[in-house]
Amino acid sequence: MRLLVVEDDAILRRQVVAGLRAAGYVVDAAADGVDAHHLGDSSPYDAVVLDLGLPQIDGLTVLRKWRAAGRDMPVLILTARDGWHEKVAGIDAGADDYLSKPFHMEELLARLRALIRRAGGHASAELACGPLTLDTRHGRAAIDGRALTLTSHEYRVLAYLMHHRDEVVSRSDLVEHIYAQDFDRDSNTVEVFIARLRKKLPPGLIETVRGLGYRLSAPR
Amino acid sequence: MRPVAWRGSLRIRLLVGTLFWIVASVVVAGWSLGGLFRQHVAAQFHAELKTHLDQLTAHLTIDEQGRPALSVPLSDPRLERPYSGLYWQIDDLATGAAATPGRLRSRSLWDYVLAAPVDAPADGEVHRHRLDGPAGTRLEVIERSIQVDERPETAAREFRLIVAADEHLMIDPATRFDSALWLALGLLAGGLVIAALVQVRVGLAPLHELRAALGDLRSGQAPRLEGDFPAEIAPLVDDFNGVLAQNAEVVERARTQAGNLAHALKTPLAILGNAAAGRDDELARLVATQVDAARKQVHYHLARAQAAAAGRLAGARTAVGPVLEGLLRAMRRIHAGRDLELVLHPISPDLVFRGEEQDLQEMLGNLLDNACKWAAGRVEIAARLDTGGLTIAIDDDGQGIAAGQRDAVLRRGVRADQQVPGSGLGLSIVGDLAQVYGGGLRLADSPLGGLRALLSLPAANGTTSGSPGK
Repeated sequence: MRLLVVEDDAILRRQVVAGLRAAGYVVDAAADGVDAHHLGDSSPYDAVVLDLGLPQIDGLTVLRKWRAAGRDMPVLILTARDGWHEKVAGIDAGADDYLSKPFHMEELLARLRALIRRAGGHASAELACGPLTLDTRHGRAAIDGRALTLTSHEYRVLAYLMHHRDEVVSRSDLVEHIYAQDFDRDSNTVEVFIARLRKKLPPGLIETVRGLGYRLSAPR
Repeated sequence: MRPVAWRGSLRIRLLVGTLFWIVASVVVAGWSLGGLFRQHVAAQFHAELKTHLDQLTAHLTIDEQGRPALSVPLSDPRLERPYSGLYWQIDDLATGAAATPGRLRSRSLWDYVLAAPVDAPADGEVHRHRLDGPAGTRLEVIERSIQVDERPETAAREFRLIVAADEHLMIDPATRFDSALWLALGLLAGGLVIAALVQVRVGLAPLHELRAALGDLRSGQAPRLEGDFPAEIAPLVDDFNGVLAQNAEVVERARTQAGNLAHALKTPLAILGNAAAGRDDELARLVATQVDAARKQVHYHLARAQAAAAGRLAGARTAVGPVLEGLLRAMRRIHAGRDLELVLHPISPDLVFRGEEQDLQEMLGNLLDNACKWAAGRVEIAARLDTGGLTIAIDDDGQGIAAGQRDAVLRRGVRADQQVPGSGLGLSIVGDLAQVYGGGLRLADSPLGGLRALLSLPAANGTTSGSPGK
C-alpha cells in the first residue's frame, strides 16, 4: 500500500512518514501544494494524508484538481482547522475523512486502514480469501489461523492483492504500490516476491494471468 | 405628562411652530382687514352725508314769507320713503318764539322731528352728532348752520341744515364683510393646518422608513440599512452603515486572530504528542498528558472565542436546510465505516436562522457528530418553526444519557463516557453558542431509544427566499 503524505511542517511530516512506514506502508511525502498535486496526479496512491494550509497551492485546491482530473484515491484531510464549516468544505471538495491536529498516530492509522478498506469495498478490518486472512490493523497474515511470517515487501504485495481480490493486478500496478517514488524499481523483483509468497501460501491462491498480471482468489 | 413632552417629538415641534404662525397671521390679517374696511365704509358714509348736506345747502331758498323751501327736491329716493334711514331736516334758528325745529323735513322723517343739540356753530361749519332717530334707531347726524340774507327787505335769517342716516347703513356692510372675512380666513387657516399636517407627515416619512430599515436590520432581514434616503438623512445612514461594516470587520478580525493563534499551536502540539508517543518513560507520559490538556484548552478557548464573537453581526441570516444537508454529506463520509442511517426529515425553505452560518454549522455539526458517535444505527433530524423560533431535534438510537447526568454533560468538559473519541466539550459549546443567540440546548429521551438533542434558535422573521407555507 502506497501513501502520499502532504504536510508543510518538516518535523510533523517526518513523524507522520515514519509512523506510516513503521505500519508497513510505502510512503511518499510532499511539502507544498505544487509537489503534492504533481505526485498525486502522476502516481497511483492507495490513500493521501493532506494538510490544508500549504505553501503555493492550498490543500483544498489541490484536492479539487485531483478530483476534477478523475483521481479517486481516498484522501484524509489532516489539519488544525477543525471548524465544521471547514470540515464540510473539505468533504465537499472531495475528501473522504477529516482528522484534526493534534492527533494520535493510532487514530490516523486506524482511519487510513478504514479508508483503504472501504475504497476496496471491504467492510471489515480483517480481509479473508479462502483459508487466508489478513489483519490490516496489526499487519498480520494467517492460514487457517496459523500466522505467516512475511517480509515487509511480501506483506505489501499480499495486502495489495487482498485489497483487490478477484481482480487482475498488473505487475506495474504492484510496482507502483509497493515502492516509493524515489525507489530504484525493478519489476523483476515483483516476480521474486510472488514466487516467495506462493511457497508460503496454499497452492492455487495466486494465479498468473498471462500477459496481464496476477489474481488472488479463493480456490473453488 | 412631562412638562417638556413636546420637545421629544419632531412632529409636535414642527406642528406647534406652524400652528402658532398660522393662527397669529390669520388673526392679525382679519383684524387689520376688518378695521380698514370699517374705516373705508365710515369714510364713504360720511362723504355721502356731506354730499346730501351740500345739496341741501345749495337748494335752500327763502320764499316771500321768509319760509325756507327747496328749489329742487333732493334726488335720493330714500328721502321720500318713510323711515328709510336717510333723513334731512331744516331748523329755523330765529331767536325767540319764531325758533322752530323741524321747520322743513324730508318725507322719510314722516312725523318725527330730529332734536339736534343746541350749540353755536360758526356759520357754514359742519358738526357731527349721534342722535336718537325714529323707531328707536340711532342716527349719524351732520349739521351746518347758515345765515341767509338774500332778500334785502327782510333781516338775515339763520337756518340749521341737518342730514342724518341710520348708523346701520354704515355698520351692516361692515358686519357682513366681517363675517365673510372671518369665514374666508377660517377656511384659509384650516387649509393651512391640513397642509402643515401633510407636510410634517411627508417630511418625516423618511424617518419612518429609517425606522423600518432599522427594524429589518434588527430582525436579521437586512445586513445594512437599505433604501433611498433624502440628502439630510443619507449621510447619517451612510455613517451608520459604515459603523456596521467596521463592526463586522472587527469581529471577523478578532475571530480570525483567535483562530490563527489556536491553529498555530496545534501543529507543535501534534509534533510534541507524536514525539512522546514513541517512548515509554516518565517524560513521555508527562508530555502526553500535558499535550492532551493543552489540546483541550485550545479547543475550549477557540470555541469560546467563536461564541464571544457570535451574534455580534447584525443582519446575518442562514437557511437551515442547506447547512443540514452539507453537514449530513460530511457525516456520511466521516462515519462511513459505521453503516448509519441518517434521516433528514424535509426542511421547509422558510426555516431561516437569525445568525451566522459558521455558528449554525458549529452547533449542528457538534450535535450531529455526537449523535453519529453514539447511535447504534439510526439518526433522525427534524426542524420546525413555531412562535418561539426554530427548533431542531436530533435523535439517535444509542444508549442515551441518564436524566441525572444530562446537566453535567452540558457543563464544561465533562464526558459522559471516556470510551468514545471526542473532546467532550461539544455539547457544552453548543449550549453556550445557542445561549449567545438567545436560544438553548435541551437533552431529552428520544423515541428512537437514545438521546434527543433539542436546539432552539431565533428565526429570522419573514422570508426572502422560498415559498410561504410548507
